Amino acid sequence: MTTIRRFSCNDLLRFTSVNLDHLTETFNMSFYMTYLARWPDYFHVAEGPGNRVMGYIMGKVEGQGESWHGHVTAVTVSPEYRRQQLAKKLMNLLEDISDKIDKAYFVDLFVRASNTPAIKMYEKLGYIIYRRVLRYYSGEEDGLDMRKALSRDVEKKSVIPLKRPITPDELEYD
Amino acid sequence: MSSKFGLAGGIPERRVRPIWDAIDSRQFKNALKLVSSLLSKYPKSPYALALKALIHERMGKTDEALSVCLDAKELLYKDDLALMDDLTLSTLQIVLQRLDHLDLATSCYAHACGKFPNNLELMMGLFNCYVREYSFVKQQQTAIKMYKLAGEERFLLWAVCSIQLQVLCDKSGEKLLLLAEGLLKKHIASHSMHEPEALMVYISLLEQESKYNDALEVLSGDLGSLLMIEVDKLRIQGRLLARANDYSAAVDVYKKILELSPDDWECFLHYLGCLLEDDSIWKYFDNIDQIHPTKHIECKFSHLTEEMFDSRISSASDLVQKLLRDNENSNLRGPYLAELEIEKRKFLFGKKNENKLLESLLQYFLKFGHLACYASDVEAYLQVLSPKKKAEFVGMLVKNSDSFSESATKVLGQTTTILKVQELTGNIFELPVDEIEASAVKLAKLYCQNLSLSKDLDPQESMFGEELLSLISNMLVQLFWRTRDFGYLAEAIMVLELGLTIRGHVWQYKILLLHIYSYVGALPLAFERYKALDVKNILTETVSHHILRQMLESPMWVDLSNLLKDYLKFMDDHLRESADLTFLAYRHRNYSKVIEFVLFKQRLQHSNQYQAARVEAAVLQLKQNADSVEEEERILENLKSGVQLVELSNEIGSKTLRFNEDMQTRPWWTPCPEKNYLLGPFEEISYGSNENVKEDREENMKRAIQRKSLLPRMIYLSIQSTSTALKESVETNGSGSDVKIGGELKCLLEEYTKMLGCSLSDAVEMITEISQGARTSESLGSNLVDWLNFAVFWNAWSLSSHEHWHVLNSLFERLILDRVRSMGSSDMSSCYSDVQVLVQIVTEPLAWHSLIIQACTRSSLPSGKKKKKNQHSDQLSSSPMSQAIKDSIQSLCSTIQEVSSWLLNQLNHPEDEQVERFLSTLKRDEDAAGGPGQILGVLESFIASSEESEVGNRIFQALKSWNTADTTRKTVMAQQRVLREFLQICESKRKLLETLKQQMSHV
Repeated sequence: MTTIRRFSCNDLLRFTSVNLDHLTETFNMSFYMTYLARWPDYFHVAEGPGNRVMGYIMGKVEGQGESWHGHVTAVTVSPEYRRQQLAKKLMNLLEDISDKIDKAYFVDLFVRASNTPAIKMYEKLGYIIYRRVLRYYSGEEDGLDMRKALSRDVEKKSVIPLKRPITPDELEYD
Repeated sequence: MSSKFGLAGGIPERRVRPIWDAIDSRQFKNALKLVSSLLSKYPKSPYALALKALIHERMGKTDEALSVCLDAKELLYKDDLALMDDLTLSTLQIVLQRLDHLDLATSCYAHACGKFPNNLELMMGLFNCYVREYSFVKQQQTAIKMYKLAGEERFLLWAVCSIQLQVLCDKSGEKLLLLAEGLLKKHIASHSMHEPEALMVYISLLEQESKYNDALEVLSGDLGSLLMIEVDKLRIQGRLLARANDYSAAVDVYKKILELSPDDWECFLHYLGCLLEDDSIWKYFDNIDQIHPTKHIECKFSHLTEEMFDSRISSASDLVQKLLRDNENSNLRGPYLAELEIEKRKFLFGKKNENKLLESLLQYFLKFGHLACYASDVEAYLQVLSPKKKAEFVGMLVKNSDSFSESATKVLGQTTTILKVQELTGNIFELPVDEIEASAVKLAKLYCQNLSLSKDLDPQESMFGEELLSLISNMLVQLFWRTRDFGYLAEAIMVLELGLTIRGHVWQYKILLLHIYSYVGALPLAFERYKALDVKNILTETVSHHILRQMLESPMWVDLSNLLKDYLKFMDDHLRESADLTFLAYRHRNYSKVIEFVLFKQRLQHSNQYQAARVEAAVLQLKQNADSVEEEERILENLKSGVQLVELSNEIGSKTLRFNEDMQTRPWWTPCPEKNYLLGPFEEISYGSNENVKEDREENMKRAIQRKSLLPRMIYLSIQSTSTALKESVETNGSGSDVKIGGELKCLLEEYTKMLGCSLSDAVEMITEISQGARTSESLGSNLVDWLNFAVFWNAWSLSSHEHWHVLNSLFERLILDRVRSMGSSDMSSCYSDVQVLVQIVTEPLAWHSLIIQACTRSSLPSGKKKKKNQHSDQLSSSPMSQAIKDSIQSLCSTIQEVSSWLLNQLNHPEDEQVERFLSTLKRDEDAAGGPGQILGVLESFIASSEESEVGNRIFQALKSWNTADTTRKTVMAQQRVLREFLQICESKRKLLETLKQQMSHV
């Protein structure tokens, strides 16, 4: 029983129990609000009975030419509502919007190389490890750039894995 | 503009670039050098000046920055041909905004727009200025001009948003909405509409005007195709139909949505609401305040006959059955919960279906009872049950869970759920002590047995059975509440600390520990656990309530100061930058976000916690420096002699405060910061929310903030009045300014007592009676410290009255000594709430009174370097007031000495002895049937017997590192630290008073 709707500022006051989880980063306000101001269709919240926040996804769409793509900045589900495929629902929504509304070529995301449970989950959702980004997280831990091709990328060119790892300054986008 | 031709603000780009590079790499000195050479070539370039101002500002030289800005502005105004490009103006704006001189930036842009009326870029800059100033009318006017100039849809929408904001925020007449509607209609007629966001604004505008049918027409027309997500469109349609009272059409729309997404819970509620023609669900739609979870959904049935109700409910049942059939294999909770909702409505309608409701709850349990969200899913249904049925239901769960045992995780999940239901229904408070104990022991065993399930989990992942430890500790706290046996509380600490040793990421443990540590006076540990929650950014607004109050009432000033600083910085930063983000939303044409951002900024601005923190930060500074009247005067000067805070108090009086804290995460025994059940006797509590309680609380908070914001001014006036009071007591005729000071102080005292709920004369009577022992201090309720503050300033207002001094002295003596005596030899864990009150008395009213005495003493001493006594002070020494001061010093000295002695006595117990005493509360008498220590016993014997092969290396290592005595020692040391810090404060007060005593003896 999930109502998925656009995230609004007031949800920032209601996502406490989701964000107290140590893997969920609480960004500064301008970060959230920049996403809301620029890509409101990429920021959704899932609500359960009693208007409880179950989880949310935030992302954006960016890039030029064939690298025009949706990006998942954060996706998180409260421990109370885990193991119910909610992350999948939220990811599918973002993929749908990237695919159908913005006609993007692929969706990508970054994940800590050590975060095995998350990597497994993304793989199940059809993402592949496109490349490794050395010391992406605060100059310490490597990040994995994972991608999933959308319908516009007919030949699935966007997801052919790179052979060598790259450094953060080689990244096209932040 | 000019930059297109390689020019920036009229200067070749290549000359400007190095300056920006230097600024970006923070080489400000170099940047300043470069800009100076630029200025020698272009002395009249406003852009070069703007850059110079920017560099000064970044270097922290705000005065220079402002003066250069003003030079640039003058040039812009004087020279008709000066380049008034957006680059120059926006650079100036950046600097001026940081200097808090937005008005100057606005006037520069306004001037430029006046000169070049057709320059769109400049107009956008001006519009941006008005966005920053929240001047919605001027925003509207500027946007309309831009629209007329360029004919672009976005500018029209900017104007429409500005109009909506006027109506929402400035409470401007709704006629304005008609104007907006007219403008949009005209535009659509000639140009149609091209952005989905524009359509959303149009619909919201019509909705704001209650023109639901018009909005529906727009939505179903050509423009409707702008909304590409079908479900989104249907949701709007359903809402509009429902609000237009076209329920049958709305029902069809919601049915469609449910067929597309059968798990959409909100949609189901709307469907049911429309089916039963119940509009209560829309009551909150325009209420932007809805951030707290709604536990009760009101239902209205009176307009339906039984027959109508039956037929409608049966069609709802049909739909739900269909959804269940269609989604048989998908494990969606929605349709199953819908069955429960239907039973609940029947029950509320008056059908005698309580048993059926129980049966549905049980079915839901059998299907989803192992999920962590079962309890919160069914909370609203449990609440409608009678106490008897609640108990019956718990019994049903216990009976049925045993028959289910196909997988260990499922059994674990179900057992956890049953406990949570017992908590939710209040059933747990009705059980006898030994049953709770037995149940907690069972849970502890279950936890141990299932640790092996988590053997191979990534340390990041939640472990199986994690919640059990929270539930056990909740039970232990309850056992403490009932029996007052400290051992249970000690045991709760151990259970949770052990949990954190096994997995340090569980925030629920940290919050529970934070509150238990706070209760037993181990505040440094409570604060440590709070810090481990990594509360930052918006969470400071929603989570700080867990620790803030305890810190405010503690002697841990350094930590408190950081806490307040971080929080205020977050809030002030947001309030400052919010307008920029609003403009970003305008620029990206996400108009609905524009309105959302402005309302959200207001919401944070009016946050009760924010207002309270502003006042408390000021009061904290005053507390920290109260031992020196000179230092205090310096602080007061920075606080504009307290005037600003008095204004704040008045302002708060006239507006609604917002409560943004998330109270859901608080433990059961302290549902809000002002309430702690453990401080009172055991009573059965239920978790039902009570609107009146909430309203009372909000009113009380408001008054408390208002009262406190008067303090700095009252301190200031009191110090002022001392300088003349002594003279007066000798010369008996006050000057004009004294009369003014006295008059203002009296007004503030009246204001203050009003917010304590009585008149000035009643308040005086109250404190006089308490000082004489005719009334007990209980009559002051929880505002004891505020009453004492009142007494202090009332005395300051009438320093020449010997009697008032006497009342105040006895009041301090009575309130402090009563507490010291009642604490007697009990240890910190059981009397921390008394210590908290003492800390407040000593650091506030007593500190203020000492400060006033200091000020009196200072004025009675010969001024300057002249050591010789003058005639004036000779007279003073024999004046009645001088005697009153001496008596008061003497009285305070001996009172504070008593507090110090108590503290020393506590601190003199050797640490080992205290650790031993703490541990002894956990030791069980082998023959005793119950009592504390059983659960820890289970856990410790498991630790002793556990094997690595069974629980995995990580958990095994954690278990082996556990040491009960270490945790005890940490708790004891934390308690001692609080006492030591308090002792230090008491000692510094005592020394101050001793010095004053000596000084007075020379008078």
